[in-house]
Amino acid sequence: MRDNYAVIGKSVPKIDGRVKVTGQAKYTGDLKFPNMLVGKILTSPHPHARILHIDTTEAERLPGVKAVITHKDVPPLKYGISPARWDENIFCIDKVRFVGDKVAAVAAVDDETVYKALKLIKVDYEVLPAVFDPIEAMAEGAPQIHDEYPRNINTEIHQHFGDVEKAFAQAYHVRTDRFVGQRTYQSPIEPHSAISMWEGGKLTVYTSTQSPHYFQYYIARQFGLPMGDVRVVKTFVGGGFGGKLEPTGLEFAGAVLSRLTGRPVKMFYDRHEMFAHNRGRHRQIMEITSGVDRDGKILGVHANFIMDGGAYTSLGIATAYYAGAMLTLTYDFANYKFDMIRVYTNLPACGAQRGHGAPQPRYAFECHLDMVAQDLGIDPLEMRLRNARKPNTITPNQFKINSCELEECIQQARRLSGWDAKKGKLPRGRGIGIAVGSFVSGAGYPIYRTNLPHAAAIIKVHEDGSAATLYTGATDIGQGSDTVLCQMAAEAMGFVYERMKIVAADTETTPHDFGAYASRQTLMSGAAVKQAGEEVKKQLLAMAGEMMQVAPEELDCREGVIFVKGRPEVNITFGEAAREFFVRKGPLIGRGAYTPPTLGGTFRGAAVGTSPAYSFAAQISEVEVDEETGEIQVKEVWDVHDCGTVINPALLHGQVHGALYMGMGESVWEEVLFDASGRILNPNLAEYRLPTALDMPKITSALVDSFEPAGPWGVKEVGEGATIPTMGCYANAIYDAMGIRVYSLPLTYEKVWRALREKRNADFSQNRQMAEAVPATPDEAARGDGR
Amino acid sequence: MRMVRFIREGGKAMYLPDFNYYCPHSVQEACAILADLGAGAKVLAGGTDLLIKMKHELVVPKALVSLKNIRSLADIGYVEGKGLILGARCTHNDLVNSTLLHQRYLSVAEAAHQMANNQIRNIGTVGGNLVNAVPSADLPPILIALGAQVTLVGPGGERTLPLEQFFTGPGQTVIAHDEILTEVVIPDQSTTGSTYIKFGLRRSGALAVVGVAAAVTVVERVIREARIVLGAVAPTPIRAREAEERLVGNAVSTELLEEAGIRAATACKPISDIRASAEYRRDLVRVLTKRSLRRAIEQGHV
Repeated sequence: MRDNYAVIGKSVPKIDGRVKVTGQAKYTGDLKFPNMLVGKILTSPHPHARILHIDTTEAERLPGVKAVITHKDVPPLKYGISPARWDENIFCIDKVRFVGDKVAAVAAVDDETVYKALKLIKVDYEVLPAVFDPIEAMAEGAPQIHDEYPRNINTEIHQHFGDVEKAFAQAYHVRTDRFVGQRTYQSPIEPHSAISMWEGGKLTVYTSTQSPHYFQYYIARQFGLPMGDVRVVKTFVGGGFGGKLEPTGLEFAGAVLSRLTGRPVKMFYDRHEMFAHNRGRHRQIMEITSGVDRDGKILGVHANFIMDGGAYTSLGIATAYYAGAMLTLTYDFANYKFDMIRVYTNLPACGAQRGHGAPQPRYAFECHLDMVAQDLGIDPLEMRLRNARKPNTITPNQFKINSCELEECIQQARRLSGWDAKKGKLPRGRGIGIAVGSFVSGAGYPIYRTNLPHAAAIIKVHEDGSAATLYTGATDIGQGSDTVLCQMAAEAMGFVYERMKIVAADTETTPHDFGAYASRQTLMSGAAVKQAGEEVKKQLLAMAGEMMQVAPEELDCREGVIFVKGRPEVNITFGEAAREFFVRKGPLIGRGAYTPPTLGGTFRGAAVGTSPAYSFAAQISEVEVDEETGEIQVKEVWDVHDCGTVINPALLHGQVHGALYMGMGESVWEEVLFDASGRILNPNLAEYRLPTALDMPKITSALVDSFEPAGPWGVKEVGEGATIPTMGCYANAIYDAMGIRVYSLPLTYEKVWRALREKRNADFSQNRQMAEAVPATPDEAARGDGR
Repeated sequence: MRMVRFIREGGKAMYLPDFNYYCPHSVQEACAILADLGAGAKVLAGGTDLLIKMKHELVVPKALVSLKNIRSLADIGYVEGKGLILGARCTHNDLVNSTLLHQRYLSVAEAAHQMANNQIRNIGTVGGNLVNAVPSADLPPILIALGAQVTLVGPGGERTLPLEQFFTGPGQTVIAHDEILTEVVIPDQSTTGSTYIKFGLRRSGALAVVGVAAAVTVVERVIREARIVLGAVAPTPIRAREAEERLVGNAVSTELLEEAGIRAATACKPISDIRASAEYRRDLVRVLTKRSLRRAIEQGHV
């Protein structure tokens, strides 16, 4: 099935590598425009309060201040990223709903004046009772955060496929476990920033974004502008991970400030404000029940979840659906029930973070599955092999799986890690664990309802044939999509990567693309690029045919040389043909667009989780636990991925390392903490502990042979998949090392220490009662542990 | 122990408040300026603590007196009969890379190496680490264990006191507002080993949840002298004297070290905060005390 490719499949250097390492690459915060002002947003100090009065007169009087705005100066239209729940205003009108909610904004001549002016804005609040826990927020009499949502329920999902009760009744063993995830934040190193210029009826926004398109759509909607009058330009972006998918107050407030002052306005969040803006991972309370037969085959699963959504919806509806939808991908079972309630609280709004809703439920499920395996006396790896999904199957929630090499991923991880020699045989304090994962290669449906293609591309060959420029709306946020798409363009045209240029993610100069989320670009943007490249090649071969007096179908083009098939010595260059094309026919342009096929079922929420293709991964990790302190050292991790055909191996393994890094951080270290008044205790990189280089283990990233029929050249996703198994994988390795199970994330040293102490105490009292002990059957043992 | 928590009201500035700036060329001149300006002036060395506190408006000094032009404060040297001298303006990386420390007290260089991250170690200073008096600071435990003295210079002259007597509470020391800490002296001594073990929640850029330093004199497997200093488990670094007393005069054994650990754990006064609970800290003191003793006994000054 595989061809001998000239450009793809090779670890070419990143197209922006040189400008980034030399500091030439300009991020939004680096840009300066003549007459530019600096803007900043005033936010709420209270988690829940009524706004009684805002007095901006003193701030306006401060020399250097050019504009001060509140809700009175901006459109009152509610916005959001999920159309089903538009619940945010540019500035709060009647009340604030979390510490950090947006109240007013200032534009002034410099940073210093802006900060001074913010302090001069007087806001009178009537402080209201606040609620910070989703279960308390659902109780009768809890503070009402949004009037439209009784009991603070933002989203409620009840899905049932097959018959779970019947499956449990027929099962040999049924077990329930309960887990709790934590709030985490994406923590991109580059802060959010935007420069807005409203000139002559047209609004231009330079911004750090994952999706110029959604920014353009929502900004235009908010201001009642035709989309053509809004230009969103992505600069270099220093990481997004889901947190820069939706417009922030920076774009909206900046636009209004620019319109009022007639000057460009640069707005930015500092680190603390980034944490308050949030849109990071939801805290989820996850109860999982499954029934298995005597051999460990899963018969049915019930996932019953509650998530803390924070004060607004953000992408949370999708997160809520994803949390359950993606549990069905990895293991083959027919009966599935998913219940979920997403609840408003007076905390920063949660959204999509790498892996979207999937990593925490996956942690819960992979831990749960290990415990089921233990109850039955089955090796955890064997348990996964027995249940692993097969290619060309359909999940109970009607996702169509084409390529799937999960079994081979597990087998290869087993070989690489030496599982058989290690499992149960490592010295005390050392353990090995396994978990698997799967992720979409692009969402089957866009975030708002539209029939636009998901991706589009134009390739323009330079008039003298010396270069070709790819114009794409695809959004490189550091992951390397510009590089990969240029490789794909060169491959499709028969050109060379080294002569590719790219203009990307500018809504005015590049064709539409939904952007960087849901791991979509290699497959979806790639499909559009491939089509555009093939269109160039077709026109070029026709021209070359005329020039060479050969029928075009006799010709091929590879690495910049057009030659007669079977007689490569008869050739002309790509450049010669391209130049001649321009002389005779005008610009040489190729166009492409991609729309996924109709996917998924018809039940409520059926769209979330659909994708043309799914990646699969198995991860094994080996940890060492300090028995006295609970300190966890991850010694080594083996990640084996099925991500279809690989376009750039170096970038692919970089994505695996990065995803694993984030998964590691969420496993052991990261958690956003709040005080009793809803203020963030650790909104900084000192106390919100991202792992450092010194914390990283040795990583082996390996691939299995795989080809995805739905992707261009057989590609699938890799960017988020490797985040998903990590938390469960570590938890299982810790169990193997010490025989303790930590039921909440992160798996901190102190939690491990506490669990070890409890186990020592339990072992001690058990030893004293040894004489009367009667062994329990697996069922009894399991049902006894109803955590 | 009061932890400095950077909680901001929504919208409050993260911008340096206005201040006057002085950079004198001698200690005397600096002291004179400080005396003149009164309590509203602060000494600026590396600024890794002070400037952040100022940005969060936890301190709003009217003036900063920078030590950057006082070169003499940045030396590390050895003076016969006095001991090893660390200038207050030495950076943590100066300690990390000091050949003198490597030869005599590698334990001090290692303690400095465990601090913060490379960027902070390149600019943060020894004097700043002491004068800021953060209970979790990494240098005080090992320096106190080695019997270090500090020199304070003020308009009226200089005084020297044991570092152990320097701290009075979180962020509090005996230093007067017009005094400058100029040097730390590690006196010549007969100790055979010393070490500092830091327990942080990641490998780099983490404050100590607990830090334990031990210095011992061991002759033919008998402990003649022992100093154990605990960090981050009381308002100031504290000596674990009950543990020390249990050790002196006894032959090294696993049980003895475990007992010393239990005594140290009993003596400390930890609090719960966002990094760890008090009970976890207390148990870590037990574990790290015996481990630091073991290491100082077996491996020398490491």
